[in-house]
Amino acid sequence: MTRRLLPLVLFFVLMGFLALSLYESESELPSPLIGKPIPEFSLENLITQQIHSNTEIIGEVSLINVWATWCVGCEIEHEFLVELSQDETVGIPIIGLNWKDDDQLARLWLNQLGDPYSIVLKDPEGKTAIDFGVYGAPETFLIDSNGIIHFKHIGPLDREIFEKDFLPVIGELN
Amino acid sequence: MIRNKIFSLFILLCFSGVAADELNTKDQLRYQSLIQEVRCLVCQNQSVAESNAELAKDLRREIKLQIKDGKSDSDIKKYLFDRYGEFILYEPAFSQKTFFLWFAPIILLMMFYGWFKKIGN
Repeated sequence: MTRRLLPLVLFFVLMGFLALSLYESESELPSPLIGKPIPEFSLENLITQQIHSNTEIIGEVSLINVWATWCVGCEIEHEFLVELSQDETVGIPIIGLNWKDDDQLARLWLNQLGDPYSIVLKDPEGKTAIDFGVYGAPETFLIDSNGIIHFKHIGPLDREIFEKDFLPVIGELN
Repeated sequence: MIRNKIFSLFILLCFSGVAADELNTKDQLRYQSLIQEVRCLVCQNQSVAESNAELAKDLRREIKLQIKDGKSDSDIKKYLFDRYGEFILYEPAFSQKTFFLWFAPIILLMMFYGWFKKIGN
């Protein structure tokens, strides 16, 4: 009897696995860069035109925010980023990576909507973005003082996500 | 005189662009087959070869550059894998996680064989 039922049991086990994977968040792709240092780069500052390397921008627990003026999600999260940059209880610098953008438009955007960034580097070719494994702006990375990536959020950032996913990790890192 | 120099410089630049952009036939074939194997992440379920998304263009450019630099196919795949994870390659890498995926057909085939033999008897 048990032997005859075995295929049926196996069938249901398989169905169970398939059903489970239906409810898994399918759009979330884990980044293989978590736990690794930020990639090497030397990029121009959008405002001062100075060149900065990856080693120059680390030293503090910070966020790296990939944005562009053509990106709709970036507009949505911008207000929160400005708010966060002024929040002294959190006190986390936000490094901007301006991805495949027009310099003038980008500067205009910061002038008009406010500049939440401690520094904005530009990546007009998108080469550094590939090194960061970026596939759609906005994306926000959390790095420690040694430049190790601890968390990555894809899509617009808001207070709820920040408090749920970022704050606990920031607390541990400090 | 200066105009001539500028003109020849211009011509030179034009042609250097063309020359740098071209791959030899063998590399061109490698390029074509590589970009078929790379998934476009923005437009999931299209390969990078088919997609016009900006990121796909950037990835194609990067793959072409690396072929020109003499990188091997596995170097290039590792480059992509290190940044984007295994999702970017259509063919999953062989690992503990994908072990069952790779061996399932053989395991199932053997199970069915045993089963049919029993029914036959």
